[in-house]
Order: sequence, then C-alpha cells, then structure tokens
Amino acid sequence: MSSSKLHTLHKQLIRAFASQPSDLTTTGRLLAELKVILIETGLIFPQGEFSTKDLVIARDILEIGAFWSIRTKAVPSFDRYFSQLQTFYNDFSSVLPRSEREFPIRGLNLVRLLIQNRIADFHTTLESLPLPADELVANPFIRHPVNLERWLMEGSYSKVWNAREEAPAEEYKFFVDSLMGTIRNEIASCEEAAYESLPLKDAATLLFFRSQSEVLEFAKQRGWQIDLTRGVITFAQKGEEKIEIPKEKLIANNLVYARELEQIV
Amino acid sequence: MADVEMKDAKTKGETNSDVAAPPQSPVVEIKSNIALIERAVSTLEPRFTIRVLRSLTALRKRLDEKACWTPCPKSIPQDSTIRSSLLSWLPATPAQDESMEVDPSPSPKASSETVPETEIYFRLLILHHLLTSPSTYSAAIDLANETVRKIQSFNRRSLDPIAARVWFALERAYELGGELSDARPLFLAAQRTASLRHDDETQASLINRLLRSYLHYNLYDQADKLISKTNFPASAPNSQYARYHYYLGRIKAVQLDYTAAHTNLQQAIRRAPAPKLAPGFYQAVHKVFVVVELLMGDIPERSLFRHPVLEKALHGYFDIVKAVRTGSLSQFQNTLTLHATSFESDKTYRLVARLRQNVIKTGIRRLSLSYSRISLRDICVKLHLDSEEDAEYIVGKAIRDGVIEGRIVHEKGWMECGGQKTGFGPEVSEMFSRRIGYCLELHNQSVKAMRYPLNAHRKDLVDAEGAREREKELAKGIQEGEIDEEDALGGDF
Repeated sequence: MSSSKLHTLHKQLIRAFASQPSDLTTTGRLLAELKVILIETGLIFPQGEFSTKDLVIARDILEIGAFWSIRTKAVPSFDRYFSQLQTFYNDFSSVLPRSEREFPIRGLNLVRLLIQNRIADFHTTLESLPLPADELVANPFIRHPVNLERWLMEGSYSKVWNAREEAPAEEYKFFVDSLMGTIRNEIASCEEAAYESLPLKDAATLLFFRSQSEVLEFAKQRGWQIDLTRGVITFAQKGEEKIEIPKEKLIANNLVYARELEQIV
Repeated sequence: MADVEMKDAKTKGETNSDVAAPPQSPVVEIKSNIALIERAVSTLEPRFTIRVLRSLTALRKRLDEKACWTPCPKSIPQDSTIRSSLLSWLPATPAQDESMEVDPSPSPKASSETVPETEIYFRLLILHHLLTSPSTYSAAIDLANETVRKIQSFNRRSLDPIAARVWFALERAYELGGELSDARPLFLAAQRTASLRHDDETQASLINRLLRSYLHYNLYDQADKLISKTNFPASAPNSQYARYHYYLGRIKAVQLDYTAAHTNLQQAIRRAPAPKLAPGFYQAVHKVFVVVELLMGDIPERSLFRHPVLEKALHGYFDIVKAVRTGSLSQFQNTLTLHATSFESDKTYRLVARLRQNVIKTGIRRLSLSYSRISLRDICVKLHLDSEEDAEYIVGKAIRDGVIEGRIVHEKGWMECGGQKTGFGPEVSEMFSRRIGYCLELHNQSVKAMRYPLNAHRKDLVDAEGAREREKELAKGIQEGEIDEEDALGGDF
C-alpha cells in the first residue's frame, strides 16, 4: 500500500518542484508526507534488501528536499537532508546509478561550510569526495566552492566578489548574500589592522558598497570613527600591547622543573 | 597510495630491533620459535611470544611450502585433527618430505597436547605464505577468517600477541584479494570484543586496521569519530604507536590542525624503526611531514632531502619546497601540475594545493623584509598577482594575520613595513618550557620503561644489611676508642 502511495506522491512532488516557478509550499507539504512514508518503509536509512528503484526514489525525494531547503533558506534543514543523502552517495555508490544532482548538492554543502566558516569541515568533506584531483577542477559544481575557498584564504576578495554571478546552479545564488556578509566582515577586520585611516569613498569600493549610506551603517556596526567633514574613516588604534612578563607562570614552571630535577638526582 | 609502498609501510613496524643473529634456515628457526611459544605459554611470560613475533618479518620473506610444513610433524601429533586441517591449506605437499621428517624419533613426546598458540602460529605462517602469490589470495581470505573465528573461540590471553598479527594478515588478505571495506564490519566487531577483554595488543592493532581502512577510502570524518570514541591502549607496542601517530597526523592535517599533525607525525618518525629497515613507512611519514611543515610556515631542513632513503621519494616535495621558499607563485603552480599524479597517489595533492597561500605569504614576508616601503603595483608584479586590487586585499590580510608588520597607505598606494619582532619576550620562555617539558617527559618515560630482573634487589638488601652491621661495629669501636675516627672513615671510603 505504502509503496504505491510513495510512487504517486513522488510524482506529485516532482511536478510541484519542476513547475516554474517552483511551488514551494506544496513541495514542503509533500516532502513532509513523503518523509513519513520513507521512515515507515525504512528507506530513509536503508538496511537490508531494497529494490534499486525504491532506493532511487528515496534518494530523489531527499535531493529535492535539499534543494527545497535552500530555496526556502532553511540551512539546518539542508544540513539534515544532506546527512541523510550521505548514505545514498557513499554506501550505495556501487548499487545505484550516479545521480546528476549529486555534485550540485555536494557543492552546495561545501559552500555552506565555507559560509559558516567551518574550514576544517570544508577540507574534510573535500578530501572525501570520490573524485580524482584533475576532475575536481573540471567539475563546475565543485570547482566553484574550491576556488572560493582559495580566494578567501589568499585574500583575493575581489575575485570572490566577481565570482558571485558565476554560480554554476541556481541554488548557489541563495548563498551569495551571506557569502558577501562573510567577506565584508573579513575585509573590515583586515582594514582595521592594516590602515590608520581610509577615505570614505575608497572604503566603499573596498567593501563593495554602492552608496555611502551603506558604508556609514556598516561603520557604525564595527564602531569605526567617521570624520564626515574630511570624509575619512579612522580606525581605533589598538595601542601597543604592553609586554608583560608572566611572572606567575614562570614561577610555576620553575617550581615544576625543580621538583622534576629533585626526582632525577 | 601505491600498493608497494603501503606494503612497505605496513611491514615496517614488525621488526623494531633486528638482532644480528646468524641467518638460520627457516625450518630451524620455526622449530626454535615453537619451543619459545610453548615456553611462553607454560611460564605465562608473554616476552617469549613477542620475541618470536619480532622475527616474523624477516622469516616471512624466506618462507616456502617446505618451511611451513616440515616442522609440523614434530610439534603437532600425527593423528590430530589440527594437523590435517592445517595441511589442507597447503597446496600439494611433496611426499618425500614427509618420509624424511617422520623417521628420526617416531614418538616425539606426543603426549603433550598441542597448545593453541602453536597452531595459530602455524596458521599465521601459512597465511603469510599464501599472501606471497596472487593465485592464493582467496584461500588466504578464507584461512584468515577461519583463524580469526578460532582465536575468538579460544579466548586465551596468551594468544593475544599472535592474534594481533593475525588481524594484520587478515587485512592484507582482504586488501590484496578483495575489497578492504568488506573487512571493516569484522574489525569493528572484533575491536569491541577486544576492548571488553582488555586485550591491548589486538585492540591497538585493530584500531590501526580500522583507521587505515577509513583513510584508504578517504573517510576522514569516520576516522576522526573513531579516534574520539576509542582510547589507544597505552601499553601498545611501538610499531602500532608509530602507525597510530601517522594516521592521526594525516587526519589532523586534513582538518587544518597543523600543530597537532606536526606533533603526531614527529612522534611517528621517532617511534618508527630505522629508515633502512622500513623505508616505505619512513618515506610515507616524511611526505606528509614535509607538507605539514610547509603549511605551518616552516621550511624543512635541506639535509632531509639528501637522506639516502628519502632522496628519491621526496623529489617532488623538494621542488615544492623550493617554490615555497622563493615565494614564486608561477614556479609553485608549475611544480604542482608536474607532480600532480605522484601527489595524488600519495593522497597529499589537496594538502599541497593548500600551500598556495603560504607561497604568497612567504613572498610578502620577503618583500617586507627587504623594502621599507613598496608600492602595491610592484608587489603585484613581483608576486605575479592578477591585479593591484588583489594585492591590496592580500597585503591587508597578511597584516591582519600577523605575517608581516606594516601599514597600507591607501592614498599613496604603497605599503610601509614596520620593524620585525625582536625574538625576545615571553614567547621564548614558552618555547623553552615546551622543550624542557618534552625532555623531562622523555626521561620519566624511559625510567618507567626500564625492566629489572626479578629478585635482583635481594642481593642489594643483603649487602645493605652487611654494611649496616659493619657500621654498627664501627660506631661501637669508635665509642670504645679502639679505632681512630679518621682511620675508620679513610678505610671505609
């Protein structure tokens, strides 16, 4: 019974998702229903024997779920769908035909990790991708986050900015805003350290702001001092940190050495 | 990673100190080994078993059918089922061997029951023999599985060291003859049992097996979880520790925790046997080690690349080091593409690719040292960056990350470099305290690791007793004024 219901709902889901523009509310409702069925049939975390067809359907549903979460900007929900998909991508890779949505989703996951500044996780995930090094560069969905990470690490922020429109899939653009937020904060912290003062106009270009009011707003958030008459931002100098001798630590260390030496002699 | 290398890497730990014994024929050696094993079982002293296993690697290379088979009749009763089951694994034993061996003494104390340890040892030998030729790989897998089942049914503590080796052989069998991932559930189950039984040897071996299996399939997440969920037994042998540190180092490197990776890889190098004995492992560790050192911003020593064992293996890495040292992005990119396949097979490609930012940082640092003021345009030209705009961001980031000291003057479009840190201050004492801590730790560890012969202190006790006796007499003598105090002291010392 549940199997036939699964099939009909699955078809409805595809229809709802594929319609232009996607019917997000219906998709969400169908996904919730389908998930219940998946759990009942045990397909959400398959153990034992299942037909390839059922597994493909289950994977399909989860993939649509992942895209749907991105479109509704529900990142935690994307996270859940992605971890459920892991089983299908890794453990059933020999049984199932490769899904064409696999790399877009993997790529999206990488971008997500990047934006949340989870660089260690980003690299771990990247390392476990089932791709040789040269394909890594050839695959547009993976190349995008890999390049983003490299530019972010180097500090080539303008390249990141320019790449925002080159997203390989529609869903990637959903992350652009938060990505820009991330790099603006990065740039701002660099500016605080590297400049004593900066003309307002240049600050706007550096931070990729279009109008001065946006800069002023941003500067207020970061607590920068703005001299409006001269049109200059001055960054608060972190006065030379006084070099202090950590007395207590040194004493404690010396006591430890003395005790150890006592034991040796 | 290339198969040959991994084989080397795996064989490495088996012999930590190859005692310079005169080369014996394998048959003789196996016989004496069996005697040792029996002694170990009867005296409950695992030391003997460990000694036997230490010779395993050397022995393994010289094994042939005859060697596996000939010592059997002596140690295993003629009619026992064990014997027939063992023999069934050996392909077509030549008949004349049998007649030759049977005649000397027809009843070689057949009364003594064969200890299971001997049987398993034989199985291990046969297993290693089967692994030498591709045609018998599937037989090796069967034998390994059967042996493991047997070991688990025995559940004897004296069997543990041998069992650990059997697991290693099982992994080899699966890797050569089939899919390594198929053995993983087996390892996981056995690991649980081993930790419940406090079977440290097997546990250490199995954790390494699992880690290797995970890393083979790039499952760093799972490997990391395994490490956080298990305790590596402290009493594990050095060889297992070396591997464990190596795997840990690789995982940490992937997770960008370079300091931890560095410490672990250093430990692995220190615990590994001499480079000549286990070149594969030594090379594998150093490959990752060099990359991690570069990622930390250090330049490995030149002498490392002249080491006879490493020179050839590290060739590609040496080129990378040169590129990083000079801070030339184009040279780095060329080297990376040139050696891409070898890095890929070492599974270090992505680590090496991460070095790009280090190349840039080194370049900027060099510039900041040599110029007190340099225009962004020149930086851009010298470092082969794409645009001035990029240069400004990159320099800004370098300043924030503390790579260089300086300021950007945006209006004039140049960078002003500040003075370098003097290198004196609290950091120095911190560095010293770390090193001193390490030395003290080393000393304490070596004191703990010392072995003393049993009851040796009794003699000292007697001596001390005698000395006390004499002292008493002396004191009495002095009191009575018979001996002059000066004399007594001079005589005594």
